[in-house]
Amino acid sequence: MRVRALLAKELLDLTRNPGALVPVALVTAVSLVVPLIVIVMVPAVTGRPLADGGGGFAETARLLGIVTSLSDEAVAQLFLFQQFLLLFLVTPITGAMSLAAHAVVGEKQARTLEPLLATPITTLELLVAKVLGALIPTLAISAGGLVLYFAGIAAFGEPGVFAQMFNARTILLIVVLGPAAALVSLQAAIIISSRVNDPRTAQQFGVLIILPLTAVFVAQFTGSWWLSTSWVLLIGLGLVLAWVLLVLFSVALFERETILTRWR
Amino acid sequence: MIAASGLTRQFGTRTAVDDVTFDVGRGEIVALLGPNGAGKTTTLRMLAGLISPTRGTVTIDGVQLTRATGDALRSRIGFLTESPGLWDRLSVRENLKVYARIHGLADPDRPIDAALDTFDLTPHADARAAELSKGMRQKVALARALLHQPAILLLDEPTSGLDPEITRGVRHLLDERRAAGCSILLSTHNLDEAERLADRVAVLQVGLLALDRPAALRQRLTTGRLLVRVAGHPASHLETARRFAAAAAVDGPHLVIPLEHLEQQTPAIVAALVAAGAELLEVRPEIPALEDVYLRLVNEP
Repeated sequence: MRVRALLAKELLDLTRNPGALVPVALVTAVSLVVPLIVIVMVPAVTGRPLADGGGGFAETARLLGIVTSLSDEAVAQLFLFQQFLLLFLVTPITGAMSLAAHAVVGEKQARTLEPLLATPITTLELLVAKVLGALIPTLAISAGGLVLYFAGIAAFGEPGVFAQMFNARTILLIVVLGPAAALVSLQAAIIISSRVNDPRTAQQFGVLIILPLTAVFVAQFTGSWWLSTSWVLLIGLGLVLAWVLLVLFSVALFERETILTRWR
Repeated sequence: MIAASGLTRQFGTRTAVDDVTFDVGRGEIVALLGPNGAGKTTTLRMLAGLISPTRGTVTIDGVQLTRATGDALRSRIGFLTESPGLWDRLSVRENLKVYARIHGLADPDRPIDAALDTFDLTPHADARAAELSKGMRQKVALARALLHQPAILLLDEPTSGLDPEITRGVRHLLDERRAAGCSILLSTHNLDEAERLADRVAVLQVGLLALDRPAALRQRLTTGRLLVRVAGHPASHLETARRFAAAAAVDGPHLVIPLEHLEQQTPAIVAALVAAGAELLEVRPEIPALEDVYLRLVNEP
């Protein structure tokens, strides 16, 4: 009940301050446009198909065992569309980071934290509401971006690509890995937000979560490691576990006294 | 009822509150007085369970306030913080609704409407908090503290920033809450307010300097004066006056007689002066203000 009350306030506050969601919308737009330019527009404009010149992408995709039944061009497109799908994992993280970073320190600076802490709300309820308040709107925008992404694949992709995109791996990426990665990073940002007295510090630390995701992106692109379905599931579950631990950690680290008496 | 026992709070090497013991009973208002930095806000925060004491305990209705009991006990407290702390982008009603839900009120609209009505906020219910004046913000914060009908009210300068009419309304409201059995502790710099409102006054300056009824404090800590104007020169009756107070003196047309028990001693002095042939033109008791008591307490070495 109390989580719902505070979450409703967070969402209401966001609707009154839509500018706070502009970074999320921008990152989503970039995640949407860049793949379509690289995979669809550039080959169309230059007249050089992706599979041309030795078929690098298609060869890598086949080496990684992604799919073998499509044309070289379709396989190359499929490989790249799946790569760029990872961008949508980063979207909620980068976009919502400023929301999460402001979550505690922002309330303190606005002097709204003390009356809130004087209610029966528990630290756990407060922090869960804060993380959901940052996560839900960004996931919604990200989901909207994904719908457009798949619509773009259906409209401009080679025959068979759209159908091949819908597999267990993709669904796990979207439903498990993406939200779990976002939860972990936002919870980390909220921990930092409750430990520093400047939201910029929280934001800068929080964005560090992007580094491992970038490593996965590069490893996949170079063909040195493919994030298989079982890996996606394993990492996703690991992230959910990490989130639970982070929530407990964040409750233990949340010092009402320090926040109220030492922050200015 | 809320009670503090040996309440002490240190921040590093600085002691903000030292060994403070008092209680606020059911249906009682206690005013917490003290200069800036005397530890009033820290005391209120400890009583609200927002910060823990370095030593000492707080008990609410017999249950000791600890980390484990804090969340539950806070539901019995209405706390008005130093700053109103409203969410600026939310309307007055929305601000109150969040708190009503946090307190688990089953039908939040009813108490919200009542609170809006009590504080004359109904016409501003849909205004964003950012658009409100300082006094209006304070009223919303007060409405928020009272929303869940708490048994204990901790108010940090409740009438700060309010105009005289609203201030009077707030005092009336606190009177009503007292009559309903609420235990109220309020910090204030307004000595007149403390005098008018409080059953007892606690003077704090890191430690508790005094705790008593305003009248009792006055009697204990200061002396009143009786001013007597007589026909002719007052010095001719100084000897009679000095039978009651050695420090009696002449000040212009008045005999000034300092008395420890003003009310009890006045009839006897008047009778003695009349018997001595004095023609009395004016007899005026001068009761020291709470301000005198307060200043004496906080300025004592």
